[in-house]
Amino acid sequence: MTVRWFPDEMPMPAANAETAGWWEAAAEHRLVVQRCDDCGRTRHPPGPVCPACRSLAAGWAELPGTGSVFTFTVVRQAFLPALAGQLPYVVVAVDLDEAGGARIVSNLVDVDASDVEIAMRVQVVWEDMGPQLAVPRFVPAAP
Amino acid sequence: MAPPGRRSPGGGGRAVSAAGRRACVVGVGETRYARWGGITDASEYHLAVEAVLAALGDAGLSADDVDGLASFAEDRNDATFMAADLGLPELRYASMSWLPGGGGACAAVANAAMAIETGAADVVVVFRSLCQGQFRRFGRGPGNLPAQEGPPRIPHVRRAHSLLEAHVAFTMPFGMFSPPIAYAMVLQRHMHRFGTTAEHMGHVAVTTRAHAARNPRAVMGGRPMTMDDYFASRMVSEPFRLFDCCLENDGACAVVLTTAERAADLDTPDVEVLAGAQGTLQGFGHGQYSNVSMADDDYTSAGARTVAARLWAAAGLVPGDVDVAEIYDHFSGLVLLSLEDFGFCGRGEGGPFAASGALSWPDGALPTNTHGGSLSEAYIHGLNHVVEGVRQLRGTSTCQVAGAETCLVTSAAGVPTSALVLGRR
Repeated sequence: MTVRWFPDEMPMPAANAETAGWWEAAAEHRLVVQRCDDCGRTRHPPGPVCPACRSLAAGWAELPGTGSVFTFTVVRQAFLPALAGQLPYVVVAVDLDEAGGARIVSNLVDVDASDVEIAMRVQVVWEDMGPQLAVPRFVPAAP
Repeated sequence: MAPPGRRSPGGGGRAVSAAGRRACVVGVGETRYARWGGITDASEYHLAVEAVLAALGDAGLSADDVDGLASFAEDRNDATFMAADLGLPELRYASMSWLPGGGGACAAVANAAMAIETGAADVVVVFRSLCQGQFRRFGRGPGNLPAQEGPPRIPHVRRAHSLLEAHVAFTMPFGMFSPPIAYAMVLQRHMHRFGTTAEHMGHVAVTTRAHAARNPRAVMGGRPMTMDDYFASRMVSEPFRLFDCCLENDGACAVVLTTAERAADLDTPDVEVLAGAQGTLQGFGHGQYSNVSMADDDYTSAGARTVAARLWAAAGLVPGDVDVAEIYDHFSGLVLLSLEDFGFCGRGEGGPFAASGALSWPDGALPTNTHGGSLSEAYIHGLNHVVEGVRQLRGTSTCQVAGAETCLVTSAAGVPTSALVLGRR
């Protein structure tokens, strides 16, 4: 019985050849970041070429799933009608540990909106939205 | 007035044109502006044509004189259909700015000016029509929100049909549906770093609403706003309240550009495109609504720092030379960031600058959004800011800055962007 925080009506991600690998890792509950095979620089979202050295060779680096809140917002309007019953919800940008500066957009869950602060420590949890789709959310972590 | 050898509005590295081919704005046209869905008796395209014809009438020109068309924010605006429908004798130039969303209004004008200065075209009309009520509201997100009808879908990873779709896969599934959510996060970080406050943003909203009160075209012209009203408006996505967010509405506008030589024969006061600049920071991508991995100093900025530097260099001016500013205002807070990027105040000081009364007509040091802006006049993706800039330099604004000779117009913060300096010849 998987934990669900958001309804099925949430927009589904669309993937292309460059980003599909990230979503495949997510389906396996692995948080990864694309890393250039030649110079080691990370990038997110994933893309076809390294902006630093222009190598076309890249792979996926496994991340510990911890990080800190870079910024956030507390959403109080139901842009998606299906969310009307669970407002407010929190959108965050997380500075991921060991990701070379890459950040991701996600949600803080299992937390009171008034307790969210920039720089707070967080860790990833996975929400299985469907058979082949899991998305990362974050919960407060020990400092 | 223009020093010899001044750079072209394209921001290129050399003087390219004789004085006679300097690009001037000779006509502006606007349809009525209504709240979204308020225009039901004309299509969005019909409004575009109306605006173009109105601008040509204002210029004392006809469609027979037009040989170029330019626009931005590629969605439904289409130059080649318009050229045929207007009966243009020959289309010699058509450009669509790549800059996303509202980043391209000034770029479209700069592109038109470049075409004129190089001789590619003689009369170029820049146009933009938005009927969000007939299509979809931008505030509802980049269009990936699923339809609510039909059998329940099993969530899965779809195949992306565009680069944008693949990028917003990293934001939409997390409830970052819409610009107010994305840019609220930018202001949240700016507040954290620099002590910016809601009241600072409120000053932008209240000041420009007061300007709108004098503007008969303004959708919010009849609705005064005090700071108390601002704070009482409902929270959309913290820290953005309803009154921090621009209108979503129906309407169209257009501007006509031609050579200075041609402009001298026409009846309208000459308004020259002194300089234009467009582009973006390294690694900015589509801006903060799709890229949160950029450097903190870029994330907490309008993204316009390099555009601003090139603009001032091309114009041979500094911020203090500006008499009036029309600053793109999809969100009050982003106006503060634009003021910082364009050098009217230091980094992080946009809030106190706004709170000082600097933006207020007639007594502020930099009267801003004298038409009410996107917050209170109308949201035509920033092209109406160009129109207001032209009005200021003609002396016909409803919040006229006495003796205005130099006007800055900016396009959207938070996306790759553009800006213009307009001047009175």
